[in-house]
Amino acid sequence: MKNLKVLLVDDEIMIREGFKRLFDWEAHGCEVVGEASDGMEALAQIDVLLPDIVIMDINIPIMNGLKVIEVSRTKHPQIAYIVVSGYDDFSYCRKALQLQITDYILKPVNYEEFGSCIDNLKISIYESRANTQADSEKREERVISSITRYMQEHLSEEISLSVLAEEFHLNPQYISQLFKNEIGVGFLAYLTNIRIEKAKKLLLSTSLSVTEISESTGYGDYRVFTKVFKKTEGITPSQFRREFLDKEKL
Amino acid sequence: MMRMEIALILVLVFVGFVYFGADKRTTPLHKTFSALLIITPLHLAFDAATVYTVNHLETVPPVLNEILHRMFIASMVIVVYLFYRYISILVEEETKKPVRFHLVAKIYLIIAEFLIMILPIQYTITEKGNYSYGIYVFACYISVAFYLLLCLWLLLKNRRQIDLKKKAAIGVALIIEGIVLVLQAIIPTLLISGMGITLMTLAFYLTLENPDVLRAELTEQKMSMLYLKSQVNPHFLYNTLDTIRIQAQLGGDKTTADLLMRLSDFFRLSIKTDKQMTMLEDETALSDAYMELMCYRYPKLKYNCDIDPDLSDVLVPNFILQPIIENSLLHGLKNKGYRGNITVTAEKSGGKQDCIEIEVSDTGSGFDEGAKKKVDEMLTHYDKEKAKTESIGILNVQKRIKLLCGKEYGLSYTENTEGGVTAHILLPIVREDYK
Repeated sequence: MKNLKVLLVDDEIMIREGFKRLFDWEAHGCEVVGEASDGMEALAQIDVLLPDIVIMDINIPIMNGLKVIEVSRTKHPQIAYIVVSGYDDFSYCRKALQLQITDYILKPVNYEEFGSCIDNLKISIYESRANTQADSEKREERVISSITRYMQEHLSEEISLSVLAEEFHLNPQYISQLFKNEIGVGFLAYLTNIRIEKAKKLLLSTSLSVTEISESTGYGDYRVFTKVFKKTEGITPSQFRREFLDKEKL
Repeated sequence: MMRMEIALILVLVFVGFVYFGADKRTTPLHKTFSALLIITPLHLAFDAATVYTVNHLETVPPVLNEILHRMFIASMVIVVYLFYRYISILVEEETKKPVRFHLVAKIYLIIAEFLIMILPIQYTITEKGNYSYGIYVFACYISVAFYLLLCLWLLLKNRRQIDLKKKAAIGVALIIEGIVLVLQAIIPTLLISGMGITLMTLAFYLTLENPDVLRAELTEQKMSMLYLKSQVNPHFLYNTLDTIRIQAQLGGDKTTADLLMRLSDFFRLSIKTDKQMTMLEDETALSDAYMELMCYRYPKLKYNCDIDPDLSDVLVPNFILQPIIENSLLHGLKNKGYRGNITVTAEKSGGKQDCIEIEVSDTGSGFDEGAKKKVDEMLTHYDKEKAKTESIGILNVQKRIKLLCGKEYGLSYTENTEGGVTAHILLPIVREDYK
């Protein structure tokens, strides 16, 4: 896979520097190609650089981040946006999700844990590609898609590289390599992603307790589940449920 | 006639007792009123004494009678001078402009006092009682009239700038004193000057110097200070902390960066004080941030928090957990050199339905001899307790739980068999209703 081009938008230079230098972009197959410190500059940079990913602060001068996304979305629908929001503008975050952004993160940004955000983004790119391919080309089913479908269907069970190796009669190392090559993320990152996505769906669409959800997404221990959820989403499962159900109440 | 003076003295002594016992600021206004509260009873005492002596001219030595009369008149002039001082300070405070008569008023006071001391005294004997008269009495009348007119003039001149309540108070006091003065001048045997002065002092006390009103003002002032403090934009604080954190991490200092991250977490969580109730997990997040910082400062300290996630969205009074933990640290673990554990757990309470019990357990030094009893006492009689500084945190927690959740819930302490204490917080299970 070729490196993904990243544009950083934040009005604080220190935050941009943090993103640029504290996160290992190269290891995640990305490259920072530009920076912008206000809404207008961001729009201009997007047109010139055509990035794959824009890391977008909401609270920036001249034109706020969400507005920038709205405007550039029509011109460049393929760009993935990761919205960065202060903790107290969570309502913005919800609005951001309505704009079909790929992901959001809360400040203060923990740069070590930012990787999972990039992984999620790659997975969603992979998934949308897989869907369009299935519809239009009807190509022969590739190994990776049968593996990921199997994982989706057996989420509550124990899934490991060796379980998959047995199921598909393949070498575990080969499967691991397949994930890196086809999706661009490790096997574990993919597994965590689909588990958390499932958990999010269950949190919003059912009234199952957190303990029950942690079991049905393959986390035996709710403590582990809560920890992993917090790490990727920035908030705990019940906070997530509260924040998003609040929105519907409004 | 002496009975009136005695009653007036008693009234003023009582007022003085309340006034001096109250907590207040020391402003020029209050100082003047304090002086008034001391001089007026003295004046009334001289008044009472002269009422006796002037009616027993044969038995009382003339020198004593004369001294008492002069003291009586002299103190009256001082009291009226203090009235003037009080009103002029009030006017200055209200208008923010200096009153220009201070020097005149002072010089006049000295001259009047001097005259009262040297001018001759005569006594008039009537059926209704005896009284003193003579030019020295006129010096007194003129002085009283002089100061009262000065007050009246100040009041009329600045009537637009003065608060209505204060204007009314001063006006009524001046009218009473004026009427009393005229009556006394027309009918000398009435001897009611003391009454006028007392009424005027009382008028000031009730309207302007009432300790309850002052206390309310003082509290309001303290509150507004706190409010101002909280107005320092908290976002500024933790955004700056975050900038410093990134700078530290860019410089390769991971530990400092992590600590700053926790500190800004702590600030961010602790400024959410606008809500009365909050989710249990917000409370534990705050204590996690707090304890992680403490554990870094004291490496022998261990912290563990285990909350059933299905209880994490239970609503609890805001800011109850951290004060309890802090209390365990300061009273249990500090004495052991911050060596030990603090464990926070929460579970559904077995005894009652729909209750949650949060426990904060420490392995500290436990209660001192008799301390358990004191703490129990304090927590049981939380509504009568005056907060001492060392227990204000837990007392506050108790008060808020009782107020927000009901009297059957609250905080209590038990001793652990293996040392240390456990705080039990019993709360109802209340959830925000999403559906």
